[in-house]
Amino acid sequence: MPSVVDINWYIALSGILFVIGVLGVLLRRNAIIVFMSIELMLNSANLLFVAFARHLGSLHGQVLVFFVITVAAAEVAVGLALIVAIFRTKKSINIDEINILKG
Amino acid sequence: MNTFSLAPLIIYLPLAGLLFNALFGWRIVDADREVGERVTGWVATLMVVGAFIVSVTLFLSLVSNGFSAWFVPMFKWIVIPSANFEVNWTLQIDTLSVTMMLVVSGVGSLIHIYALGYMKGDMDYSRFFVYFNLFIFFMLILVSGSSYLMMFVGWEGVGLCSYLLISFWWYRLDKEGKTANATAGRKAMVMNRIGDFGVLIAMFLLFWTFGTLDYKPIFDGAVKMFEANQMVQFGGMSLPLPTVLTAVTLLFLLGVTGKSAQIPLYTWLPDAMAGPTPVSALIHAATMVTAGVYLLVRSDVLYEIVRQSGALLLGLISTPDLVAWVGALTAFFAGLIAFSQNDIKKVLAYSTVSQLGFMVAAAGMGAYVAAMFHLITHAFFKALLFLGSGSVIHGMEHGHHEISHGHDGHGEDDGFDPQDMRYMGGLRHKMRVTYVTYLIGALALAGIFPLAGFWSKDEILLHAQTHQTPIFIILALAAMGTAFYVGRQLIMVFFGQPRHAAAEHAHESPALMTRPLVVLAGLTVLGGLLNVPYLSAAAAERAGMHAKGFWLALEQWVAPSIPALELAEEGVLHLPHTPISVSYAVAGLSMLLAVGGLALAYLIYRGRPKTYDEPDRLSRTPIWWWSILPLNSLHMKILVPGFNRMAAWLAFKFDGEFWSDFLHDRVLRDTFVSFADFSSDVLDSQGVDGLVNGSATVVRRLSGLLRLTQTGYVRTYALAVFLGAVGLLVYFLLAAG
Repeated sequence: MPSVVDINWYIALSGILFVIGVLGVLLRRNAIIVFMSIELMLNSANLLFVAFARHLGSLHGQVLVFFVITVAAAEVAVGLALIVAIFRTKKSINIDEINILKG
Repeated sequence: MNTFSLAPLIIYLPLAGLLFNALFGWRIVDADREVGERVTGWVATLMVVGAFIVSVTLFLSLVSNGFSAWFVPMFKWIVIPSANFEVNWTLQIDTLSVTMMLVVSGVGSLIHIYALGYMKGDMDYSRFFVYFNLFIFFMLILVSGSSYLMMFVGWEGVGLCSYLLISFWWYRLDKEGKTANATAGRKAMVMNRIGDFGVLIAMFLLFWTFGTLDYKPIFDGAVKMFEANQMVQFGGMSLPLPTVLTAVTLLFLLGVTGKSAQIPLYTWLPDAMAGPTPVSALIHAATMVTAGVYLLVRSDVLYEIVRQSGALLLGLISTPDLVAWVGALTAFFAGLIAFSQNDIKKVLAYSTVSQLGFMVAAAGMGAYVAAMFHLITHAFFKALLFLGSGSVIHGMEHGHHEISHGHDGHGEDDGFDPQDMRYMGGLRHKMRVTYVTYLIGALALAGIFPLAGFWSKDEILLHAQTHQTPIFIILALAAMGTAFYVGRQLIMVFFGQPRHAAAEHAHESPALMTRPLVVLAGLTVLGGLLNVPYLSAAAAERAGMHAKGFWLALEQWVAPSIPALELAEEGVLHLPHTPISVSYAVAGLSMLLAVGGLALAYLIYRGRPKTYDEPDRLSRTPIWWWSILPLNSLHMKILVPGFNRMAAWLAFKFDGEFWSDFLHDRVLRDTFVSFADFSSDVLDSQGVDGLVNGSATVVRRLSGLLRLTQTGYVRTYALAVFLGAVGLLVYFLLAAG
């Protein structure tokens, strides 16, 4: 019987991962990194879903994770395509240079 | 149905004719010359004939109605309740207006028929008949109106038609290359305006005094006020009624001198001969120029009140006497001027001025019936003479046309003028009908027994001899002058030998032109019967004043429309009245003068001039200069500069300095400009624009602030989303907690 890890550790890990994701989105300039940070935030949420599903003995959380993975896959496809298109026009993926929607 | 209700037709029929021709006439003529001329011409003519038939109906209705006037209201015209001003368009069908209607539409019909032939082939054929119908339309309004204002509408309207028809051939140049026809039209217009101004002011005075412009209330009111010795209030001033009426009648006289071509405004009428000959016959001889006489006869009560009251103008002369003198002097001087004219139509024009002088003099002396009588007979014989002269001119033009295209060597242009009597001569053999009818008209004009002119002129002379001897002497001399220039014209045109090849080749005019001549000649022979003393006196004796018997004398017929005559019978006014009668002394004298004048002309002009360039026999006698110079120099040296100076004063001082500079520029314009400046500089640019621009600025500044949040960096938006999420989270936690 493997030792049961306390739910609080999962919550803490998920929180740390989410904060890393937020900071990555807010602070990094490279679009790929920003993109990866978003994935990190999604996965931190996934981790929390799965942990609670196990803890509560319900399958709802695990089903929801599949939806998230599906949506994330679609998002990656669209997002990477956008990044490629931006790189082709600007020869750069520095998001500080992409501000033509400035008011 | 009452036959009087047909009366509006006399106005509607010519109106329909002129509208038809104005809208379709030129199209039809353009499409097919031959048919078009026949259609437009006959439509116009038949409308006037229709008006004549209606006039005859009205005449018969009046006879069966015992001559009393009938009013036919048509519509309300001008209503100003606050000023208590109301003019209705009402026709006054009384014996005077019907007499005028019969003359206008009757003679008008004949002249329309004549014009069908005379205007044939003219490039403006339909325009001519539009104007002609328009003239009949306005002339019938003039005579049928029941108020001075309606009369004035017609008065102005016929003036307009006169202008349009005098300058009908405005594009034709005279020998000096000037558009003399257009100038003549303008001259007539301006001269008439001076007279019209008088009529207008007189109407204002009448309205102020009586509060109406209708004939009957004015006359009734005038008599009542005169008997009660009432004063007329002008603001703080009050004037006795005769003084006001003196001004009114004097101003009416000014209108008469303009419209009926009396001294000093007569000069437009001879120039008016520039129009086509039917126009001269209809407008400038038979009808329009008699409008002044009609005005005098219509206003008889006003003149008789002035005469009765003894009110004098400048302490010298009463206005009726002034009218008589103006008429008599015009009759005399215009007759003298006619001596020297070589243009066949100019002779007739001056003769018309002179004959109008007879009528005006008669009206001025109170012989209203005689004035109307002469008006009617003059309409017959002067229309006849003008149409005859048109026929002569037509014949001369065709004769000239023939020789220009023939090869007999006379074709070169030698300054030939088809209206110049010096080129004529011997036409009695070439134009039989024209000659005989012209002779009848000329002898009637000269006053030869028993033609129409003799009777009517004799009435005027008899009245003058009874009441005003000096005027009788002048008129008698004028009558002799008439006979003299008539004789001179007859000899120069019809007798002797042809003095030009054109006269040799002249031939008679078409039947369409000669038939109206024959009809008019018949009227000229029989016209005197209208008022023959023997017949009518006997009739009056048999049946009393309002005889309804077979014979109807003009005097009994017209009298009910001349209120002054009735008032004289009632003893209110003392009219210098002469019942129609014949005085053998006066009739003999006038016959003697007529025959003497003709004989004198025969003695001087027998067989003269022999050639067309021979000087006139009279030019060597002093009478020539004596007769011509005073009038022309009076006119050119005193009247014209005086009028110019007055006009210049009015234009520069009154209109220019006072009216324009002070009142318009300073008072009106400056006030308006400063108000406009205030509106545009202060109200608009600061008030309205400030409000609009201010709100725009506020919006722009606020949106500038808001724009700063829109950095374009994804990070910023992400941060905003993050902070928002945190904010929501905190809110829910706190709310739950």
